This record gives sequence, C-alpha cells and structure tokens, in this order.
Amino acid sequence: MTPTIAVSGLTRRYRGHVALDDVTVDFEDATITGLLGRNGAGKTTFLRILAAQEFPSAGDVRVLGASPIENDAVLRRMVLIREDQSYPDIRVGHVLRAASWFYPNWSGELAATLLRAFDLPAGRPVKKLSRGMRSAVGIVVGLAARAEVTLFDEPYAGLDAVARQIFYDQLIADYAEHPRTVLLSTHLIDEVAGLLERVVMIDRGRVVLDADADTVRGATTAVSGAVPAVDTFAAGRPVWDRRTLASHASVVVGSPLTDGDRAWARELNLTLTPLSLQQAVVHASAGAAGERAEGSHA
Amino acid sequence: MSTAAPTVHPLDTAVKVARLHLLDRVAYLLAPAAGLLFAFTVDAIIVGMLPSGDRGDHSVGGLAAICVVAFVIGLQSITKGLSFGLSLGLSRRGYYLGTALLAITFAAVSGAILTVLRAVEGATGGWGLSMRMFRLPYILDGSWYEAWLTSFVVLTLLYVYGCWWGLVYRRWTLIGMIAFAAGQVTVVLAGALAATWTHSWSDVGHFFTTLSAVGLTGVLAAVTVALMAGGFTTLRRVTI
Repeated sequence: MTPTIAVSGLTRRYRGHVALDDVTVDFEDATITGLLGRNGAGKTTFLRILAAQEFPSAGDVRVLGASPIENDAVLRRMVLIREDQSYPDIRVGHVLRAASWFYPNWSGELAATLLRAFDLPAGRPVKKLSRGMRSAVGIVVGLAARAEVTLFDEPYAGLDAVARQIFYDQLIADYAEHPRTVLLSTHLIDEVAGLLERVVMIDRGRVVLDADADTVRGATTAVSGAVPAVDTFAAGRPVWDRRTLASHASVVVGSPLTDGDRAWARELNLTLTPLSLQQAVVHASAGAAGERAEGSHA
Repeated sequence: MSTAAPTVHPLDTAVKVARLHLLDRVAYLLAPAAGLLFAFTVDAIIVGMLPSGDRGDHSVGGLAAICVVAFVIGLQSITKGLSFGLSLGLSRRGYYLGTALLAITFAAVSGAILTVLRAVEGATGGWGLSMRMFRLPYILDGSWYEAWLTSFVVLTLLYVYGCWWGLVYRRWTLIGMIAFAAGQVTVVLAGALAATWTHSWSDVGHFFTTLSAVGLTGVLAAVTVALMAGGFTTLRRVTI
C-alpha cells in the first residue's frame, strides 16, 4: 500500500542556509506521529511543504498519492494548523463557517463541542482574541475538519495547561472514531508522549531519529555506577551522554538492552534507569548530532 | 479514514472564495458606501460655497473615493486573506479565481449603483447644485450602459491591480514593492522611448485624442486582463 505521505530527497535551501537537507520519510495512514526538534530545526518548513504552502528546492513530495502543489483534490483532504496563522478581519464563527465550506468531512457538531470546551466566543472578532484563544480557534478548525491528513505545527502557543489537555483529549477521542494521519510538531514532548505512536526527530534539516515511540523509550537507558564497571558495560554500545563525578559515572546508552544485559548490569552493580520520551529524544538528537560531527571530521 | 477524493468544481470553489471575502462586511459594504458618502458630502459643501454668479456645471472628483476603496480592498484580499484562504485547503489557482470573481461582482454591482446615482444626479439638476460627480465629462457622459461598462472596467482594474501589489508585498515585501514600482515606470519609459525613436508621438497623440470613452474602456479592459495574468503568475510563486 502506498503511504499517505511519501517524502524522498526533500531539500529546501534558502539564501545562506539549508532548512531541509535530503529528507526521506514516509507516513502511513492512521498513525499519530510526533514531529520533534528544536526551534529552527526545519519542522515548520517541512509541514508547509507538505501542505504546498512552500515549495521544495529538490526532492519529491506525495500526499495521498499525488503532488499537493496546486492539487485541489489533495489539498481539500489535508489541513495544516500553524502557530502563526493569520486571519482576515472576521469573527470566530465566520472562521468556522468558512472552514465548513471547504472541508468535505467537516463536523459542525464537533466544532460546536470544541467551541464550548475552549470557551470561545463565536461572535468575537478574531483579532480581539488573546494569543491562546486564537490558537484554540486553529485547533477547532484542525480537529473539526476531520481531514485525512491533519498537520498541527505547535498549535498551542499561549494555551494554558488546561486547554492543552482539552486539545490532547479531544484529539485522541476523535482520532479513535475517525482515524487519520496526524503529524503533531511539538517541543512539549512529555506532554504528548502518551498520544504518539511514532516519533520523527528533525535536527538542522535532517531526520535524525525515526522510530516507534515505545522503541525510543525502551532503547535509551541511563546506566550509572562505578567508573570501570560503567565503561566495561558501555563498551561497544552507542553512548550519547557521559558524566563523571569522582569515581561515579553515568552514561546514556542508545541501544536496547537484552535480558542478558540487564543481568550483567546487576552483576556489575550498575543502576539502570529508563529515560522519559523527552529525555530519550534529547539524547538521541545530541547523539546523532555528535556522530555526524565525528563523521564529518573523519 | 479514507474517503474518495472530493470532486472540486472550479466555479463552486470560486463562489465559496468570494463568500469568504464577503464575510468582511466592513470592507465590502461599509467602506465603499462610507467613502462615497463622505466624498459626496465634501464635494457638495465645496460646490455650495462657490459664488452664485458662477454659472455652468461643476465637475468634482468624488468618484476617486470609490476607486481608492476598490484598490485597497483588492490589496487586502491578498495581504489579509491569502494566508487564511490557503490554510483552508485551497489551491492558489482556486483562491485567485474566486478573488477575481469577487472583483468582477463587486465592480458590476458598484457600477450599477453609480449608474443609478448618475441618473438621479441628471434628474435633479446635479443635486440642485449643478454638480457633476457621477456624470463626469467624457468618461461617464455617454449612455447609461456605456457609463456602467466604464465604471465596471475601471473598478475591476483597480481591484486586480491592488491584488497584484498585495501579492508582490506578500512575496517580496518592501524591496519587492520598490522593484515592482520601478518595473512599471520602466515599462512606461520604454514605451515613451519607443515612441520617440519611431517618431510616432503624433500617432500616439492622435490615438488618445480621437479615442472615445468606449474605446478607452476597451483599452482599460485589455490592461485589466494583463494585470490579472500578472497577478496570477505572481501568486503561483507566493509562499505563506
């Protein structure tokens, strides 16, 4: 089966810097993927190119089997909610009404439910809304569109913790009834960890990590104990972080541990601590960046 | 979730895009009406102050107000509306066609209102002041349908010209606008140089002095089509 989103060799160069560097990645139908990365890593550029709001310098992008550029049939089945979305001088209710005209799967019922949940005044001009409320308007559109390809680019700027939780709850509830391909770019990784089935990490325009969320969680472990024991254990494994304090060392090992490894660690008197998704991702990206740096020096 | 690809009818989409713009009632209803009313009031006061010995009709330029409004709402249809429009799953082509449809509709309706006001102005002896705001000599003093056609073409032209400026601003910001203005001056300059080198200034003068209002409208219609083509070509390259 062809993937819902197929990206190969995608490069986007701007004057003086490369925002995306030879990105090849696929996304299957009915998954929620976290698109992770630091500020300026290339996440927004990536999503904008998927939605044909930006053009690639090189490479191939297929969404629902075709190029999205000037392709109405594809674009109508896709929604991109951006952190910095601007609106004309219209009211909240107008935004929803306009969205209902264009999205074939639009659910007015869900939109009304979300409007109440976020406590949004339908009659208020969008430009009079606070930052967080404007973000909530985008989230309502993004969820109620029920688009087969739903892209959220850090959609919660200014949203308080309660409203963010409403977003996560509504996303997962509506996704359960209407599965679709969801990409959620975020840096609040631990907050969304429970939602994500897969994580793709972009760093300086490259995909540095692409794995099942569960695998990432299982694959990174902090190992600490006496320096010689830690060194013995870590030999031959990818080590992403190393701290030493007197005779005590702590490293992050970036490969999954077998039962045999765990037994050996007990013999060596080492402490094994699984990392949270956020910590795992931070170390994975730092490790990958480090490996790249070493590679380029070689 | 998989649904069949929705069939997207261009005209249906264009009508929806036009409705999207019309959600902003201030721009499309209030601004033209207020602009026209204000200009009319100012002109009527000025004409009313003229010494009573001053015979004949007084032509005034109040219609410039609606021209400015047409240009500005064309500009805003891009600067304020494009990002939101494209975020709703529209192609650039769909957005431009809908916006052009609205430009034409806006110009047609406004032209009809101007034509009615022109008839009222004629019937009331220039509002009792011998004022010619809607019956501008040469441009709008033909038959009612010629006047409507000219108003329609001029307002469409200004709207789509505003669109193009908005697109240039969105894509290339200030530097782009300076280059765009310079480009237009260069085109005019090239025309002037060509006329000089081919010794055809007298032909140019003859063309414009003998041009009827309807003929001028035809020239402006051609310019409008060129501006639409230019705007659309620019939009194909705009990113948001």
